[in-house]
Amino acid sequence: MSETRITCEVNGRKVARTVATHKRLLDLLRDDLNLTGTKEGCGAGECGTCSVFVDGKLVKSCLVPAARAEGARIETIEGLAGMGPLTPVQKAFHKTGASQCGYCIPGMVMAATNCLRLNPEADIDEIKERMGGNICRCTGYTKILEAVEIARDVIAGRRPEGDLDTDEPLGDSFIGHNVRRIDAPAKVTGRLRYAADMKLVDMLQMQVLRSPHPHARIVSIDTSVAEAMEGVECVITAADVPGKDGFGVFVHDQPIMARGKVRHVGEAVAAVAAEDLLTARRAVAAIKVEYEPLPVIGTPEDAIAPGAPVIHDYAPDNVVKHIPLRKGNPEAGFAEADLIIEDSFSTQSVEHAYLEPEAGVAFVDHDDVVTVHSPSQNITHHRHMLADILGLPINKVRMVMSAVGGGFGGKEDMIYQGMLALAAIRTRRPVQLNFTREESLIASAKRHPSKVSYKMGLKRTGKITAITFDMLSDGGAYGMSSEGVMRKAAILSCGPYEVHNLQVDTRAVYTNNTPSGAFRTFGGMQAQFATESMMDIAAEALGMDPFELRRINMYRKGSITHTQHRLDRASLDMVLDAAETASRWESGAPNVRGAARSDMGGPDTRQPCTLGARIVAEAADLSQGDHPTKASTEAAE
Amino acid sequence: MNAITQTSADTRRKRGRGMAASWYGIARTATIDRAGAWAEIDDGGTIKVVTGVTEIGEGILTVLAQVAAEETGARPEDVTIGDNDTARSPEAAHAGATRQTYMIGNSVALASREARKMLFEQIAEHWDTPEDSLRAFNGEIWVEGSNLRMTLSEAVAICKGRGVVPVGAASFTAHGTGLHPVDGKGSPWQTYVFGTQVAEVEVDTWTGEVQVLGIWAAHDVGRCINPRGVEGQIEGGVVQGLGQALMEEHICEGGHPTTHGFAKYILPTALDVPQINCIIVEDEDPTSPLRAKGIGEPALVPTCPAIMNAIYDAIGVRMKSLPATPEKILAALRMPPGGGARITWNNRPAGETLT
Repeated sequence: MSETRITCEVNGRKVARTVATHKRLLDLLRDDLNLTGTKEGCGAGECGTCSVFVDGKLVKSCLVPAARAEGARIETIEGLAGMGPLTPVQKAFHKTGASQCGYCIPGMVMAATNCLRLNPEADIDEIKERMGGNICRCTGYTKILEAVEIARDVIAGRRPEGDLDTDEPLGDSFIGHNVRRIDAPAKVTGRLRYAADMKLVDMLQMQVLRSPHPHARIVSIDTSVAEAMEGVECVITAADVPGKDGFGVFVHDQPIMARGKVRHVGEAVAAVAAEDLLTARRAVAAIKVEYEPLPVIGTPEDAIAPGAPVIHDYAPDNVVKHIPLRKGNPEAGFAEADLIIEDSFSTQSVEHAYLEPEAGVAFVDHDDVVTVHSPSQNITHHRHMLADILGLPINKVRMVMSAVGGGFGGKEDMIYQGMLALAAIRTRRPVQLNFTREESLIASAKRHPSKVSYKMGLKRTGKITAITFDMLSDGGAYGMSSEGVMRKAAILSCGPYEVHNLQVDTRAVYTNNTPSGAFRTFGGMQAQFATESMMDIAAEALGMDPFELRRINMYRKGSITHTQHRLDRASLDMVLDAAETASRWESGAPNVRGAARSDMGGPDTRQPCTLGARIVAEAADLSQGDHPTKASTEAAE
Repeated sequence: MNAITQTSADTRRKRGRGMAASWYGIARTATIDRAGAWAEIDDGGTIKVVTGVTEIGEGILTVLAQVAAEETGARPEDVTIGDNDTARSPEAAHAGATRQTYMIGNSVALASREARKMLFEQIAEHWDTPEDSLRAFNGEIWVEGSNLRMTLSEAVAICKGRGVVPVGAASFTAHGTGLHPVDGKGSPWQTYVFGTQVAEVEVDTWTGEVQVLGIWAAHDVGRCINPRGVEGQIEGGVVQGLGQALMEEHICEGGHPTTHGFAKYILPTALDVPQINCIIVEDEDPTSPLRAKGIGEPALVPTCPAIMNAIYDAIGVRMKSLPATPEKILAALRMPPGGGARITWNNRPAGETLT
């Protein structure tokens, strides 16, 4: 491995290191200098989590070769405040609650700092533009932008510095009080360590061989070349699993590595633990797998077609789960309807895109306890499953939830902890696995794509008389959370409305696509997108305001739900009133009346995005002398 | 008025508004849910809380610190929350299902009450006063209507001097039932929340691009523990909903994913976010100690349909297949009338179709 000697200044200190020439500036900072506040979110310059200053310029350190640091002055998140108090930007992030999972936050703080260094008078459009290269998946950016504006005003002296440290006075309770996030200081400084930031003595790096085929029988796996390589400590496959292999949130249909066949592209087939990442990657490339391709199911319709290939032997019809709801008599309900509306709706596969890719560390402790640190959303269930897979008593398996850099349901599946544990048992050394973004996209669950066929009957008064609702969802290659997602989709299906006659069916089926799993709303969003679209179609047909139609049908105290549960209370009337009032909603049927509305463009909306705010500001600056102003915005208003 | 709003009056850029309502259940679905916690009122008037599930970014650590402080008389900054670790902390199951504030919050509240009861028993004897005359808040403990008052730190020292460590343990249960396999009958949750969102959009009919300019999001969260935290959940949920409505799509072609990174998988950035107006509605839950419900998932539910209904209001095109990308909007605008919902009136000609 060729190496290079680098001497540079990092956060005001001279440093010198000899590093492999393939390393990036991000690796130099994280691996060689242990400055793990700089995070890796994508490794491709697309997310901004690895932003640092090089000679005063903000760069994405995943795109910079380490050798380019030679002689440079580098500033990282750790260097902003150093040992001193937080900077105004950091304090403002703390004040507004701008950090949630925190993984994007070091990069956000760097981008905000850069913005205000370049233009201390930046207006909101320029701030948005300068922060536009940094992705956050938790916050919706709102509190981040609020923080940057507060910091700008403090730095410019328009707002007292003390504002950053003061909050609204405490009344007689902490409940309902805007207590600042207790984890924010660790997040705005980059001090919080996530699983990928952990470093243990003697730790090995794991890499995973993944399937290039959507559906194929594994004829043979030859690991001999990989195992013979210097620095390789172990190569594991399904054959090494000592206990009862299989995990899943509801049905345990997924082996920790492919067993006999692969069912989707990206499925783990084998894994290597080696002295370093490069060796592990080379060893993975040296594993030979012979596949015999099988017919591929690419859509849920194909999965339920007669004679479809079978993906899992236990489910010859390829159905993961079917949830039926039956209430009243839909036929009679449609017969009494004045109008019947039929339509269909579809939703796509969605990635969670948490900024922290999957990562974990496993080791076997002095009492033979197999310990896994990972950002798991369900350590309790993972412990149970892993004990079975490893054939160990429950108290010999210990799962620790490391700081989670965003989950949204995507970290409920135990897709890598089993491999880590097995390698730790085999090597008796700590083993770490950090997914790349590409690996995270290809191997982790997605939101279920769904198709809904909908039929709704209503009286002229707006009262719903009957609904049939049929959902077909692509569960992908493994069951994961499909059963629960279908259950929740069914329960919530027809919306918060009392419907006396209904027939609801939700089905998830196996395909050879990337598995679908838990994702924030667990099927509720797909179902209610269809229902709320139908409600507006109905409101237009009836010439009725959409709020009014919903009030006519809404759940009230005593209503019987779609699963025939009597509600003791229901607050839909309250939220309808609140949204209608707050938005100054102009009443009327939803009949394409946008052009005639007078309730739009209020102070509670933003201006349409005007790309180039920065250029306009710079031009205004040139024409008006030394003082940057808000001329561009004023001119625009 | 800027150039864009000037042209919005003409045929290119069109605006509209839409709304959508929603509902959601709190905690695990159609099953019993449970969570355990331990609490100790520790030296210096600090609090130790241990529970088996915690932060994934939603702010639950702060909520638990507020709850433990409120229940014990400490301050939130005095609360230390232990790591969650299956070998070191009680089971609290998973971080999901909009269950953290409801399940873990209530179990921490109950455990903290247990610890406070042990402390109050000792202090009541020390001051020779009835237990129910004691109050504690913000680091102090006192007897209501008297001049007896000391710090929580002093109270813990007295309690320990009397040979008692004030600790508590509790479990909280949510009694959901399974669904009947034939008709789905059952009580999947004991607490429900409701929400309504209004979206205001501008559609560029030349490029097909949709900008969401405003969202009004009214959500019932039960008793609100931390308003800023709730707003953060709503804002994040709305922007995830916006991403799903307009741009995000993971594509598999014949089982082969083609969306390999963030260059292909398009996510909302700071430039895409609307002004989000949060309206927190508090219909307190009478059946649980904290009277709180939850907000994590429900915030996302109405966003997509509200945006699609607003697009229809603006351009008369109903987007029924997500995401409503510029390509799909342009294709829909070019479609001849028809292709809408099949609407049948019982006393009117059948098959009348909306366009």
